[in-house]
Amino acid sequence: MWQQIEESLRDSMGRVFTKIATLLPGILAFVLVLLIFLVIAWLAAMLARMVLNAVKFDERTNAGANTLTEWAPRQTPTILVTRIVFWSFVMIGVLVGVSTFEAASAESGISAYVFSYLPRVIGAVVLLFLGTVIGRFLSRSVLISAVNLNLQYARLLATGVRWLVFVLTAAMVLDHLAIGGEIVDLAFGILFGGIVLALALAVGLGSRDLVSRSLEKEANRPIEIPVEEKLHHF
Amino acid sequence: MPKSDLEEETLSETQYAGPVDLLIGIAGAVNAGELQQQVQQLQGYQGSHVVIAYPGATEMEAPVQAESPFRLMPYSLPAADRSLLPWAIASTAQRTICAMAVEMGAKVCLSLHSDLATLDTRHLELFLQAIAEKGCDLVLPVYPSRKFEGLLNHSILAPLTRALYGQRVRFPLAPDFGCSAQMAARLSDSSPHHAAADGALLWPSIQAALSNYQVCQLSLDLQHAPQTEGLELSAILSSLVGSAFSEMETSAAYWQRIRASHPTATFGDIGRQWNDGEPVDTKPLIDSFLLGSRNLQEVWSLVLPPVTLLELKKMSRVDPASFRMPDEVWVRIVYDFALAYRLRTMNRGHLMGALAPLYLGWVASYAGEVAGLSPMGAEQRLEQLAKAYEENKPYLVSRWRWPDRFNP
Repeated sequence: MWQQIEESLRDSMGRVFTKIATLLPGILAFVLVLLIFLVIAWLAAMLARMVLNAVKFDERTNAGANTLTEWAPRQTPTILVTRIVFWSFVMIGVLVGVSTFEAASAESGISAYVFSYLPRVIGAVVLLFLGTVIGRFLSRSVLISAVNLNLQYARLLATGVRWLVFVLTAAMVLDHLAIGGEIVDLAFGILFGGIVLALALAVGLGSRDLVSRSLEKEANRPIEIPVEEKLHHF
Repeated sequence: MPKSDLEEETLSETQYAGPVDLLIGIAGAVNAGELQQQVQQLQGYQGSHVVIAYPGATEMEAPVQAESPFRLMPYSLPAADRSLLPWAIASTAQRTICAMAVEMGAKVCLSLHSDLATLDTRHLELFLQAIAEKGCDLVLPVYPSRKFEGLLNHSILAPLTRALYGQRVRFPLAPDFGCSAQMAARLSDSSPHHAAADGALLWPSIQAALSNYQVCQLSLDLQHAPQTEGLELSAILSSLVGSAFSEMETSAAYWQRIRASHPTATFGDIGRQWNDGEPVDTKPLIDSFLLGSRNLQEVWSLVLPPVTLLELKKMSRVDPASFRMPDEVWVRIVYDFALAYRLRTMNRGHLMGALAPLYLGWVASYAGEVAGLSPMGAEQRLEQLAKAYEENKPYLVSRWRWPDRFNP
């Protein structure tokens, strides 16, 4: 019996090693292709930056009415284009690498699966980018408006808006990538519904007395004579 | 001559106006009865061939005798956004009035505030004297000074115009002005048709500086009602300061060459000094500044250099009673915001919103400083600020030319 166990262990070890030996050239080929494309991507990004700087791309694009910098201040159009070029080459490298891996390891169907998934990944990246930019923009709008309205909790309000947009974006991205399935929808629905319900309860129950007091005060308040403003800006 | 931007109805009205010596345009909606009454009181006026243009669709009945030199004429304004602020609407009207003056071949053009306070014989003669006899191309009024009025004008618009364009004018964006025929042509040329819809303001003093025309000032003993009542400060800043920054962008090649300012000839009565009564409470202003300082550091750090941020931090820690914003800090803040406006470092609405707490900080500092001073003392304090703008101009020029390299 011991001999049988020994044989089966040896067989399974052999199968694993054989499998690794079969996959190894493919993995090496994948890594090599990725490295080559990383170098190409870096060179292409550098070239793109040089060309864009030479043609004063930032100045030309900034002449328009609504530019990228207005939405995302730390991103210049040149940086954005350079990054797009870099990551496009990296993405091509991954795809070529996957095809090479498939060819070298005789594992069929991998590249077909990756290629069919690619549009979802691109869509998710676009969603993520837009969500981040919109989140920051709205957060800054709320922060500045709240400060100018003299609201003491301006930062809290701005952070809340930013995270609301970020969470919404994350849920959309996961849904787009078909990761998590129904759980993401469900979790997001519960989270959002919970926040709204909590706010409704807070206002409805917690502030009931406050609301009634302020309504009474409003009804009984004498007509105010407007005070003349002493400061005039223009 | 470029194709006129006037509405068709107005254009046809101007063609039947005959010879015109003086065009008086009312830059804003006006009550017909009040206008007729005011015109009847102008009978002491000695000139001839005067057209008084007012915005409206219908022609008023002749208010005066047949031999009267005055003729009332309606004009229509280009369609503009209803949400525009009062001075933006007035600018649209001023552009139209200048274009009408060009079409009519008027020798002198006056654009007056719609409250008609300036429409009397004495003021008309003063304006005409300055243009026809003294040879001024543009006559801007100087209104009586009050310590706590026109603060945005005194803190940014006037000293910025002085430092950039070399013209010491008290009210560069005045609601009344008079101009010669060539100045009217220049103002009408500088007004693209889309500017009206965009709410872009007309800056006669800047246009005069760009054309090297002679600018004069006329002291007037009258005041118009403040135009900012009930408006949000960030909206006011966006419209007025944003427009001044836009002008900076378009005229950068000119103002970078100007080294110093020169006094502007001033005629008329010496401006009466109006007393302002008790001092204002600066606590709410300082509180707004401190709230901004606590929350907007991240936004300000995109616009202001580290030295200025450090100064602002120090200011936020001092006792409110001794709260002061040094002139140099305020001037550099304005210059840095102008640069950020040009570079579009962030959304321009956000940028002007972020300027509001800083401006209130300056107002608090100024109000604290001039509280015990006479109106003349406050004038001297503003003169000191204007000099600070001029002294710090090299800083602006350096940052404007090399925004990335020169960042102290």
